[in-house]
Amino acid sequence: MSYPAIRAPASVRLAQRANRPADRIAGTAIPRLLAGLVVILVWELIVRGFAPAYVAKPSGVIAAIPKVIVDPGFLSATAITLAAVAEGLVIAVMFGTVIGLTIGRSIVADRVLRHYINGFYAVPMIVVLPLLSLWFGYTGAARLATIVFAAIFAIIINVADGARSVPREYLEVARSFRSGRARMLVEIVLPAAIPYFLAGLRLASGRALIGAVVAEFFTAIGGLGYYILYNSRTYHHNEAFVGVLLLAAFGVGFELAVNAATRRFLPWYRRDEKAE
Amino acid sequence: MPAWLNRHAPFWLSILAGAGLWEIVGRNTSAAFMVPLSETLVRLWELAKSGQLGVQFLDSAALFITGFMIALAVGMPAGLLLARVRAIRVGLEPYIMTLYATPMVALIPFILSLMGFGFAPKVLVVFLFAVFPILYNTVEGARSIKPELIEVARSFRSGEWALWREVMLPYTLPFTMTGVRQAIGRGLVGMVAAEFFLSSTGLGQLIMTASQNFDTGAVLAIILVIGLIGVALMRLGQHIENRFARWRA
Repeated sequence: MSYPAIRAPASVRLAQRANRPADRIAGTAIPRLLAGLVVILVWELIVRGFAPAYVAKPSGVIAAIPKVIVDPGFLSATAITLAAVAEGLVIAVMFGTVIGLTIGRSIVADRVLRHYINGFYAVPMIVVLPLLSLWFGYTGAARLATIVFAAIFAIIINVADGARSVPREYLEVARSFRSGRARMLVEIVLPAAIPYFLAGLRLASGRALIGAVVAEFFTAIGGLGYYILYNSRTYHHNEAFVGVLLLAAFGVGFELAVNAATRRFLPWYRRDEKAE
Repeated sequence: MPAWLNRHAPFWLSILAGAGLWEIVGRNTSAAFMVPLSETLVRLWELAKSGQLGVQFLDSAALFITGFMIALAVGMPAGLLLARVRAIRVGLEPYIMTLYATPMVALIPFILSLMGFGFAPKVLVVFLFAVFPILYNTVEGARSIKPELIEVARSFRSGEWALWREVMLPYTLPFTMTGVRQAIGRGLVGMVAAEFFLSSTGLGQLIMTASQNFDTGAVLAIILVIGLIGVALMRLGQHIENRFARWRA
């Protein structure tokens, strides 16, 4: 016996359809590919039609890629910038976590420091560059200081939020088992703050990358930012754009890595980004 | 102790302590390095009295507001359109996400060599910094509209225009406002970056000249001004976001 077919509502049909693997590919991959091709084509045609020959265009950028990625100058510039970002992030994470935990768990520290942290966080980081270059000269130290300044407040704010959000019961249980303050901090507060820390790290790494590029523009010290600046000034736009693509890849890569880490290790955790 | 004193005393005490620390550090280091707060404020007063600060402030404000408004005018409708037309959204989503995560500063050298000096390239920089957070968050919001809402509207024979006005816009506005808050912060960075690296104008120029003259007092004074503007705008953004957040179900 057969029932008359009842058409499911559109939302259900859509959801069902989206779950079939073949349709998932047809539903997302093809529009994405098409959109990408259209963007590239339009860009290529506009540059060919209206812009001077040195302007970056997709065909030129693609042609430049093999040459650029084996260029020792490009590789060392990338290594320098990445090393500086990594170093700055490590410093920012170390100090930022300690300060964040302190603010999150101590009302006095919170009251004294909160306005300064929020204030520094709202300062556009680029504005301290002239001051930092007065202090550190036009050197790698100025870049490192910029990266740390760009990154640290995002970490402090998020870690402090995390430390504040520890359920009170956990701490009470620990205290009733006569746990010491330091131990509670390391074994309860710190793990509870990790998802917040990761959210902060995601913001901080993006800001650190911007800080590094901006510092290199400003002080003209070697690195990926300076590579882009130099090549675009000497009308090698295609080569310079390869650098931009790499920066974009780093930006997206950081984002995806932190998201993946959150999903993998903290699957129960979902949280909207707190501040930027 | 009255309640208001209890609430505000820690804030003012910590501000006072910070000011004191700045003064002491400033007095005990070389003047090229750090200038006491009192001297910074004197420099600030001089800059304000000479009219330089006001003129350059208005210059920067014009740049920021123009770029930001264009970003809003483009980002919001584009985000809603992307939300409504599924094929375009699915197609463009990864690219928008990529541009959202790309450090836009890296494009400044290209803009410089293509558009040269002037007002338009700087507006473009502020626009590029500000538009992607708005676009990204609007799309994100529109994507989370429940299909049922649109179906109900449809079954009540709602037209396209009514659908936008009554369902799409109210639903996505809180998300857009999160984007607006982020865009304010980023746009400010874009404004200063444009003033540093393109034709030098506004508060950016003021700070550049001061640092070239090793006038640490003026550098600190303008950082203080831009910092306070940043804090005020951030507060404003937070306020706007919270106001609209109440709509969120």
